[in-house]
Amino acid sequence: MQNTIVCRCEEVKLGEIISSIESGATTLRAIKVVTRAGMGICQGRTCRPLIEDCLSKTIKQDSNDVQQLNFGNPIRPIRLSELANTRKG
Amino acid sequence: MNFDLVIIGAGPAGMSAAIKAAENGVSVAIIDENPEVGGKLLGQLYKDSKSGWWIGQKIADELGKKLTDLNIAFFLEEQVCGIFPRWEVLLSSGERLHGKYIIIATGAAEKALPIPGWTLPGVMAIGAAQMLTNYHRVKPGEKIAIIGIDPLSLTIAYDMRLAGIHVVGIYLPKKSEFSHMKAEPKQLISYLSNFVHVLPNPFLKLFGKMLKYPVIQNLAITYYPSFGIKVFGVPLHIRKAVVEIVGENQVDAIKVEKVDKNGSANGKMEEVTVDCVCISGGLYPLGEIARVAGCEFAYLEEVGGYVPLHNENLETTQAGIFTAGNITGIEGANVAIEQGNLVGLVISDRLGLLKNSKEIIKAKKKVLLAREEAVISFQPQIEIGKEKIAELWNKRMNE
Amino acid sequence: MRISNHPVLENTAGDEIEFTFDGKKYLAKQGETIAAALLAHNIRILRYSMKEKRPRGIYCGIGHCYECRVLLDGQVSVRACLTRVRDNMTIVSEREDSNEF
Repeated sequence: MQNTIVCRCEEVKLGEIISSIESGATTLRAIKVVTRAGMGICQGRTCRPLIEDCLSKTIKQDSNDVQQLNFGNPIRPIRLSELANTRKG
Repeated sequence: MNFDLVIIGAGPAGMSAAIKAAENGVSVAIIDENPEVGGKLLGQLYKDSKSGWWIGQKIADELGKKLTDLNIAFFLEEQVCGIFPRWEVLLSSGERLHGKYIIIATGAAEKALPIPGWTLPGVMAIGAAQMLTNYHRVKPGEKIAIIGIDPLSLTIAYDMRLAGIHVVGIYLPKKSEFSHMKAEPKQLISYLSNFVHVLPNPFLKLFGKMLKYPVIQNLAITYYPSFGIKVFGVPLHIRKAVVEIVGENQVDAIKVEKVDKNGSANGKMEEVTVDCVCISGGLYPLGEIARVAGCEFAYLEEVGGYVPLHNENLETTQAGIFTAGNITGIEGANVAIEQGNLVGLVISDRLGLLKNSKEIIKAKKKVLLAREEAVISFQPQIEIGKEKIAELWNKRMNE
Repeated sequence: MRISNHPVLENTAGDEIEFTFDGKKYLAKQGETIAAALLAHNIRILRYSMKEKRPRGIYCGIGHCYECRVLLDGQVSVRACLTRVRDNMTIVSEREDSNEF
């Protein structure tokens, strides 16, 4: 399983996520920064629950205690040109 | 553009809310990223012993027609890129919608279940296969394997057979960080036995009769035949797991291994030729827009994951933001429709447009009734989960 | 790969329209999505991944995962599962050299 992709957008493998946790990335945000998992175009919609699984299995936390990623705008990708267009209206 | 109410998501919950609100004179905008309204309804097809075939697309068409008749403003093929207080919704076209009230009805997303080879073209989430088969009428493949045994995957396997598609088998996933009880025959059987009373098709009926009692569950696992039990012509494998999906540029085959009662591999490997693999990892409430809006969340296994805290009026912790449908817990479309009706009435009332507030009490009862009578349920403990949300809400409000 | 004569659902009609994918012409049914139209012709590879250049196709089928993104008339990252085919559309599989945002 170590070579199995977990984050399909950024092509991050299970082994990379597990070793990031073992070397101290014990929050979703830290794993994201170290591995880029969850930073791709789908913004973690596919892999976020998977990384929560890795974290709770590796450091034996309940999902309730796993510190959640910050969610922020933009929620979906938007082209800069379209953002610029709207300021007028 | 200004509206009384902006609804995010034109699935069963969002559409029902839009209709109820507009009927009471609320000005409504509804947003969806699909070119057509309906959301997950569009792919649904199953036989209901009471009312015959549930054809989701028909229900979606009927609701869609009402939206049109009520002059509700549609924003289709639009993604919500941002939400800002109080309340502005930024769309991917650059359009900004202002609403006194917002309903977030973004439904659910599929939980992935990584298996070596799962990024190959031809491997898809079970929901994609459902849309292709029942809505687009294109075969997901000529020879299909399904990974993950649950009410949704069994229902869709049935749909595929109905459409004349060759399903070679339904298997367990390889045991991994992500498989949970889905890879463990013992736990899986006990989970499936929860659905005895709501079984909509031959697959589920077979399970139900056999598996009511723990002793029989244990025997069933021990003596489960290695060729599977054929249900509706599809071998159902409780003791075999897909350990790898193989192919150069797309799916060519799956590697299948025998497993023991706890899901650990203990047998020889076989290869089965397929051109499509459908993975069913379950659903989780899709709450990202509510998060960005600042709604508080709670994790509840019983409802399928993180949900925005809400009260019985489906109001969140953020003033003006309401919610409905699968974002509040994984349930069937009938519950989503009743939740939509309820929240549409509540917002009409807040705007001073509801003539008879007794309608709200009735609508609340209908939500509970729909939950009780659900034909397909996904979370056996949903009612307990809903009670816990109510407790958390009360606790939060007393802080 | 099309399903005809469904025992429960009404059969879908619809005019046929022409589109181009990676330089070849295909027929689609009016109103169907790019992903469905291509799969009807048994085409599963919609793009190649950035890092490992591996093929990818439809995954979630409902717009969440962005795996099915293609280049449409020069526009990048268009989701094939949510976008309807229109007459004479030119679609190209997304690759490393397709510009991201």
